[in-house]
Amino acid sequence: MPTVVVMDVSLSMTRPVSIEGSEEYQRKHLAAHGLTMLFEHMATNYKLEFTALVVFSSLWELMVPFTRDYNTLQEALSNMDDYDKTCLESALVGVCNIVQQEWGGAIPCQVVLVTDGCLGIGRGSLRHSLATHSQRSESNRFPLPFPFPSKLYIMCMANLEELQSTDSLDCLERLIDLNNGEGQIFTIDGPLCLKNVQSMFGKLIDLAYTPFHAVLKCGHLTADVQVFPRPEPFVVDEEIDPIPKVINTDLEIVGFIDIADISSPPVLSRHLVLPIALNKEGDEVGTGITDDNEDENSANQIAGKIPNFCVLLHGSLKVEGMVAIVQLGPEWHGMLYSQADSKKKSNLMMSLFEPGPEPLPWLGKMAQLGPISDAKENPYGEDDNKSPFPLQPRNKRSYAQNVTVWIKPSGLQNPNAEIFLPLIDRCTEDFKKCKEIT
Amino acid sequence: MAALAAVGPPNPRADPECCSILHGLVAAVETLCKITEYQHEARTLLMENAERVGNRGRIICITNAKSDSHVRMLEDCVQETIHEHNKLAANSDHLMQIQKCELVLIHTYAVGEDSLVSDRPKKELSPVLTSEVHSVRAGRHLATKLNILVQQHFDLASTTITNIPMKEEQHANTSANYDVELLHHKDAHVDFLKSGDTHIGGSSREGSFKETITLKWCTPRTNNIELHYCTGAYRISPVDVNSRPSSCLTNFLLNGRSVLLEQPRKSGSKVISHMLSSHGGEIFLHVLSSSRSILEDPPSISEGCGGRVTDYRITDFGEFMRENRLTPFLDPRYKIDGSLEIPLERAKDQLEKHTRYWPMIISQTTIFNMQAVVPLASVIVKESLTEEDVLNCQKTIYNLVDMERKNDPLPISTVGTRGKGPKRDEQYRIMWNELETLVRAHINNSEKHQRVLECLMACRSKPPEEEERKKRGRKREDKEDKSEKAVKDYEQEKSWQDSERLKGILERGKEELAEAEIIKDSPDSPEPPNKKPLVEMDETPPVEKSKGPVSLLSLWSNRINTANSRKHQEFAGRLNSVNNRAELYQHLKEENGMETTENGKASRQ
Repeated sequence: MPTVVVMDVSLSMTRPVSIEGSEEYQRKHLAAHGLTMLFEHMATNYKLEFTALVVFSSLWELMVPFTRDYNTLQEALSNMDDYDKTCLESALVGVCNIVQQEWGGAIPCQVVLVTDGCLGIGRGSLRHSLATHSQRSESNRFPLPFPFPSKLYIMCMANLEELQSTDSLDCLERLIDLNNGEGQIFTIDGPLCLKNVQSMFGKLIDLAYTPFHAVLKCGHLTADVQVFPRPEPFVVDEEIDPIPKVINTDLEIVGFIDIADISSPPVLSRHLVLPIALNKEGDEVGTGITDDNEDENSANQIAGKIPNFCVLLHGSLKVEGMVAIVQLGPEWHGMLYSQADSKKKSNLMMSLFEPGPEPLPWLGKMAQLGPISDAKENPYGEDDNKSPFPLQPRNKRSYAQNVTVWIKPSGLQNPNAEIFLPLIDRCTEDFKKCKEIT
Repeated sequence: MAALAAVGPPNPRADPECCSILHGLVAAVETLCKITEYQHEARTLLMENAERVGNRGRIICITNAKSDSHVRMLEDCVQETIHEHNKLAANSDHLMQIQKCELVLIHTYAVGEDSLVSDRPKKELSPVLTSEVHSVRAGRHLATKLNILVQQHFDLASTTITNIPMKEEQHANTSANYDVELLHHKDAHVDFLKSGDTHIGGSSREGSFKETITLKWCTPRTNNIELHYCTGAYRISPVDVNSRPSSCLTNFLLNGRSVLLEQPRKSGSKVISHMLSSHGGEIFLHVLSSSRSILEDPPSISEGCGGRVTDYRITDFGEFMRENRLTPFLDPRYKIDGSLEIPLERAKDQLEKHTRYWPMIISQTTIFNMQAVVPLASVIVKESLTEEDVLNCQKTIYNLVDMERKNDPLPISTVGTRGKGPKRDEQYRIMWNELETLVRAHINNSEKHQRVLECLMACRSKPPEEEERKKRGRKREDKEDKSEKAVKDYEQEKSWQDSERLKGILERGKEELAEAEIIKDSPDSPEPPNKKPLVEMDETPPVEKSKGPVSLLSLWSNRINTANSRKHQEFAGRLNSVNNRAELYQHLKEENGMETTENGKASRQ
C-alpha cells in the first residue's frame, strides 16, 4: 500500500508553540519531527513501502514522487518553505491525480494528511468546499471518496480542545465520512510538544505501519516470515453482520496444485513472503534487504547460511511449476508461488483468494480437496499425464453445446442431399478453422 | 427456452378472454409470492430475524397492447393483485409478501405498423410497484431490446473482441478479421470506469445506446503456462451464441487455449488488460492488472534468510509436493466414528506425517541420498502399512546390513570434515542413527510401524560397548580431528534424542566452519571464525551443567569461545555483570531523578 504524505505548509503552520526551554518551535517543526519518526520507522521496518511527499497551501506541489529512498523524503522535509493559505480541496485533487497516474485505480493507498486544523478561509477553504459539496457536477466533483481504495489519516498538529473550539473537527470528520469512513483523525494528547507528537505518530505507526509477521508451516517444516504489504482485513459484502476477516498468523500449507490447474485465478491481493530470522526478543535480524549497517550485515550473513524452509519451498515450486495452497483462516485460502520480476530476481509470493468455501469454481469446494493417496487410483495418472482439474460444471453452457444451424425452408425440400451433407461439411470446416487459428 | 417453445401459439378458436395477458400477470404475481427453497432455508436459519429475508422481483411482460390506457389497465391489475396476495401472504408460511416489484412491459408490434403505445421510463406506481414501458418493433429489434434489458437487469457489460483472425469459408488461404461481442458482469470493466477511459468505448451494432468496450485479440504464440496477476474472473456469454465468429471463438477457447486481450491505445504502448480462458467448459474473462506493481524490485530470495545455502533438496521436495497434490473428493466420506471426514484435514494430516523427519539440505542427511533406503522411506510415512510394506522395509534393512558387511561406501557428505571424512564404520553408524530417527518418528502410526523399528533395532550392528571401545582406541591414534571425536564420544554417552538434537547443532557448526574454510581457501589456517548464531550457543550451556564431568564437547566449545572472545570487544553489559546478570537501563535512574526536579520547577512557575 503506497503512502502519500500531504503536508500543510500554509502560514498557520508557522504559529509558534510555547514550550518551556530555550528554543522556539513552530507547528511545522512538530509536524516535521513526527514525519521524521514515521520515515525512520518505515526505513527500518517497512522498507518496501513506496512513499510520496506532497506539500500544499493554496497550490500544491509534489516534492518527492513515490520512492523507497527515505533519505530523500527526509531531506525534503527540511527544505520546506512557508506559503499562503490552506486550500485542502485542491491538494486532495492533486493526490488523486498523483496516485492514479502512478498506480491506477485498483491499488489501495494510504494518505497521511498533516495539518494544524486551520482549514483556510474563503474560496477553497474546507468549509467552503463542504458547503458546496451537494452542488457539484461530475466535472468538478469533490475528490473524496478517492477513486482508489484508500485510508485517510489526518494528523492534527493541535489538540482536541483547540479543534473543538471551532468547527474544524467536524469538518475533518466530514472528510473521513466522505471517504466512506475509511480513515481516522489523530490529535495531540495534552500540550503541544515533541513528546506528544511522537506518541501521536506512534499510534499511526501501530495502526498502519507495523510489519505483519507470520509463521509459514508445512507439517513440521516451518519458517518465520514477514508478509508485505500487510494483508488488510477483508469485509465480505453479502453477510448480514459483516465482520472484517483477518488472516491467521499461522499460514498453514494444505497441499499443492499444478500452475496449469490453478490457471491464473482471481485474487484479492498479492504479498511478498519474506523469510525473517527472529532472535529471542522477537526482533527481526534481517528481512533480506541489504543494509549499510555493519552489525545487521553480519547478522544477515549468518541468517543467510541457516537453511530456511521458504527458500526450499520457493526453489521447488519454481522448478516444478506448482503452487502451494495455504489456509489463511476459516474458509479462507490463498496460494504461494514463485514470482520472478523483470530482472530475473525471484521471490516467494502469496495471493489471497476471496474468502468463502468455493473461491475458484474450477477447483470446487476447498474443503473437498484431499490428498491423492486417498484416491483409488492416482488422479494425475501413472505418467503424470492427467489431471483431476478443472471440475466440469453440472450444466453445459449454451456455447459449449453443438452449434445450432438455422436452415431456410427452401433447404428442406430434399432432405438427404441438401441438408445433412452441407451440415456435416460445415461442422468439419468449423473444426478445421479452429485448428488453423491455433 | 425449451419451456417457452413447449407453450405453443394461442388457440385462435378459444374464448378471447382465455388468452388475455391478465392471467399471465396474475400467475406471475402468485409465483413471486411463493417462498423459494432458498428463502425458506434463510428464514428458518435466521429465526427471529426472519424479516430480514427479502422478497423482491421483476415481472417482464412481452405483449401487444392496444393503447396507453390498455397499458394502464395492465398496471392497475398487477397493482391490485400484489395488494391482494400480500394480504394473503401475511398469514402464511408458504407465501411471502412482495416488498418490491418491477414491472417491465414490452409492447411489441409488427414491422411496418405504427406503435400505439408510447415509451415511458421507470415510474413509481406505489411503494411496492414500479413500472416501465418499452415499445419495440418485432423481430430482431425485439431481440436487441431484450439484450439491452438483460444487461441492465443483471449488471452486465459488453466487450467486443476485435481483430480475431479467421479463415474464410470460401477461400481457405485468406483470413479475415472478425469481431465478437460478449456479455459479462460489469465489474470486469471496473478499471475503465474508474479511470474514466471512455474513449475506447464505441457504440455497439444496430445503433443501440448501450456501450461496448473494444479489446484487441492477441494471437497466442506459445503454450507457456504462466500465472498472471488476475484481479477478477467473470463468466461470459457471446451475445450471438450461434453466429459463426462466436462459435469459432468459443470452440477455440473450449479447446483449452487462452487468449490475451489488449487495450487499443492511440499511443504505441501495448497494454494487456484481460484474458479469455475456459475452465472445464466454462469461459471466463479474467481481468489482469495492468498498473504498476507496488511490489516491484523486491529483494531476491537468495539475498534473504537461508539464501546462501546451496544444497537444498529441491528435487526431493518437488517429489514431496507431487505426492501431496490435492484432488477433489466430491462424495462425502465418513470416519470410523461416523463423523464427516473433511478431505482438506486429511491433506494436512498427510503433510504432518510426511514432514516428521525431513532434512532440508543434502549435507544434513545420509539416508535420503541413498537409493537403497527409498523403499523404506517412501512407505514408512504412510498412515498404515500392509504386510507387503513391512516386508519391503525389512528387506531394505537387511540390504543395508548386507552393504555394511561388504563395506560398501556411503554417500555421506564430506563437507565439514578434513581429509577423507569419517571412517566407514562411523559412516554406517551415522546412517543407522538417522534411519532410526526416521522410523521412530512414525512408530505410533500403527503396530506394523513398530515392527519395522524392532527389525531395525535387531539388525543394527554391534553392541554399543564394543563399538565404544573400538573408538576409544582409535582416538589416541589420530589427534587431528578433534571436532569429529567430540561428536562421536558425545553421542555415545547420551540417549539418542539428545544426541540427535545436538548432532544437528554440531553438524551445522561444522558446516559453517567448513564453509569458512572454503571461503578462505586455506584448510590449514589456524582457527576459522566461528559463525554460530547466538541462539545455538545458548543451547549448549545447560547440557554442560547437567553432565557433571567436563566433556570433550565443552572443552571444544570453550576453546572456540575463547578464540572468539579474542576477536571482538566484550559486551559491556557482560563485563559488568554479576552472576551473568547485568542491570539494564541504569541511566534511566539518573534521568528520572532529573525529570522529577524539572517537574518540580515547572509546578513552581
